[in-house]
Amino acid sequence: MFDRMLQHERTALAWERTAIATIVAAALLARLAVQVHPALAAVGIGYLLIGAGLLVWAGYHYDQLHGPLRRGESPVHPRSVRLVGRTTVALTGTSAIIAVLATVL
Amino acid sequence: MNEPMTDPADDPGRTRRSPRWLKDPTTVGSDPDYRFTLANERTFLAWIRTALALAAGGLGALTILDDFGGEKVLGIGLLVLSFLTAITSYRRWSLSEQAIRKNEPLPRSRLPLVMAVGVAIVSLIAAVAFIWSAQ
Repeated sequence: MFDRMLQHERTALAWERTAIATIVAAALLARLAVQVHPALAAVGIGYLLIGAGLLVWAGYHYDQLHGPLRRGESPVHPRSVRLVGRTTVALTGTSAIIAVLATVL
Repeated sequence: MNEPMTDPADDPGRTRRSPRWLKDPTTVGSDPDYRFTLANERTFLAWIRTALALAAGGLGALTILDDFGGEKVLGIGLLVLSFLTAITSYRRWSLSEQAIRKNEPLPRSRLPLVMAVGVAIVSLIAAVAFIWSAQ
C-alpha cells in the first residue's frame, strides 16, 4: 500500500509545482498587462487565484488520501487535468495577445 | 467501471464532428492500472510547466530587457511557443490517456523535438535582431 502512496506523493508534488509555475507566470502577466491598461492586470490576478486554488487543492487532496488508499482506491484527476489544460491555454494565449498590445501601443 | 465502454465515435454511420483529442478520455475504453494514468498525468504537468516557463521567459524579456534590440521578437516568439506548447501538451495527454484506456500503443509525441527546434529558432532570430541593432 505504501508503494502506492509514493506514486500519489509524486503526483501531488507535480500538481504543486505546476500550480506554483502558474502563479509566477500569472504575476508576470499582471505586471506586463499594467503597461497596456491598469485594469488588464485583473486578468493576471485571475489566473494567479486559479493557481493558488490549485495549490491548496493539491495539498488538501493528498492529505485526505489515507482513507481512500486503505479502501484500495487510487484517485486519478482527469477533471483537474482538463481544467489546468484550459487555464494554461488561456493564460499563454492571453499573454501573447497582451504582449502584442504592449509592443504596438 | 471495469467493463469496456463502446465509443460512439466508432459507430460506422457517424461523421466525426470534433477532433478526437478534444473528447473526454474517460469516456473511452476502460479504467487502466492507476499508475499509467498517474504517470500520464505527471507527464502532462511537466509539459505544462515547460509552457509556463516559456511564458515567464517571454513576459520577462518584454518587461525587463530595455535596450536588447531583439527583446520584442524574443518575448512574443517565446509566448507564441508557450501557447502552442500548452495546446499540444493537452492533446498529447488526451490521446495518450485514450490509448492507455484502450490498451493500445501510445501515439508518438512530437513535442520534445518541436519544442527544442522552436526555442532554437526563436533564440536565433532574437540573436540576429540583437546583432543587427548593435551596429
